[in-house]
Amino acid sequence: MTENSPTARRHDLPPDAYRDMTRILRAGLITALVILSGGVIAYLVENGSLSFGEMVAKNPILSYLGLDSLARGLSTGQPEAFLTLGVLVLVATPIARVLTGMYFFARNREREMAIVAMTVAILLFVGVLVIGPFLR
Amino acid sequence: MDLVWYLVILAAVAVAAGFVGSLTGIGGGIVIIPVLVIFFNVPLAVAIGASVITILANSATTGSAYIRDHLTDLRIGMFLEIATVPGAIIGAALTVYLVHANLQDALIVALGVILIVLAIAGLRRIRDDAHTLSVPDRRSRRLGFFGSYHDSQLNETITYQAENTNRALGIMFGAGLVAGMFGIGSGVLKVTALDGALKLPIKVSTATSNFMIGVTACASTGVLLAAGYVNAVLAAPVAIGATVGALVGSYVLPGMRNRTVRIAFTLVLIGLSIELIIRGLGGP
Repeated sequence: MTENSPTARRHDLPPDAYRDMTRILRAGLITALVILSGGVIAYLVENGSLSFGEMVAKNPILSYLGLDSLARGLSTGQPEAFLTLGVLVLVATPIARVLTGMYFFARNREREMAIVAMTVAILLFVGVLVIGPFLR
Repeated sequence: MDLVWYLVILAAVAVAAGFVGSLTGIGGGIVIIPVLVIFFNVPLAVAIGASVITILANSATTGSAYIRDHLTDLRIGMFLEIATVPGAIIGAALTVYLVHANLQDALIVALGVILIVLAIAGLRRIRDDAHTLSVPDRRSRRLGFFGSYHDSQLNETITYQAENTNRALGIMFGAGLVAGMFGIGSGVLKVTALDGALKLPIKVSTATSNFMIGVTACASTGVLLAAGYVNAVLAAPVAIGATVGALVGSYVLPGMRNRTVRIAFTLVLIGLSIELIIRGLGGP
């Protein structure tokens, strides 16, 4: 075996890493789609008479981006709040996948790759939770 | 036409976008943006917001299928996200600025030109169907950037290893920047980095690109959400359609020959480049 051989030195991630990442992506996607589907049906029931242009101009998401307003909207059954929640679940899915990767690299004692995954997670949190709201 | 029919048609367009996106690794957003702007008269910023939703759904769908099939290289994908994520955040922030400053047309033309150059480079490599083993750099050896997969079309196990990781990081930062600015998956540039710089097989490149595209889109979505560019009502049909299209595409890809994937990728690249230039120059 040479130094450049593809089989040299790498510790393959365990099969459950692949399995869990697949499950997380599927669970996040299915959850988001179920919420979005229910939300859009409820929205159409309430706002079906709107024109397409009016719907585009009246983007409801900005009213529900805060935790308080989102919780209030969900508790009162506002379709727009459920649509917002569906979008947020979709956005959170890749973050969950990165965190899962970090866990498996750490469990596999691959310190450098665990640091790589942690760096990606930190950058994502900074982008979503700090820079986004800062530009708002 | 009733609002419900608009959303049904939009879902059908998203099916096509998801299919093309998963098959070529471009993310599908590039199909959604022009359709929304040209046929639905949606402002470009809102079209970009809908596009990132397509990309998130597309990447989650195909990403899970490719990971299950072990076509995705998790290590390389994760490593290169260090470059794409800050690129995407900066790109999305630039878009917020550019939308207000009305300066996007010149950048769209520049993007079109870059993509044509990449398309020509892709055509030159079309005959290179067989994968040749490259010489890994030091970082590639240290982090274990090599692997293998079973090619069902060739019925053999293909081994690969990555080289030029610094060059790939540079291209990936650019890919993230472009992705964040235009709300596209930027899979064009990601596949170029994975296939062209790292010298990975095209199927591994496409699968890893799809895996990365979701994280890149997630980074830019935070900025686009806050700016009000993501319309929650448009998001539903777009996400559902993109998921269906991506599912079909991900089941088709493993059985396709490398040459077919590469030609499809190049044709999509040329088509969208021309369209971008025309749009940037004020055409229809």
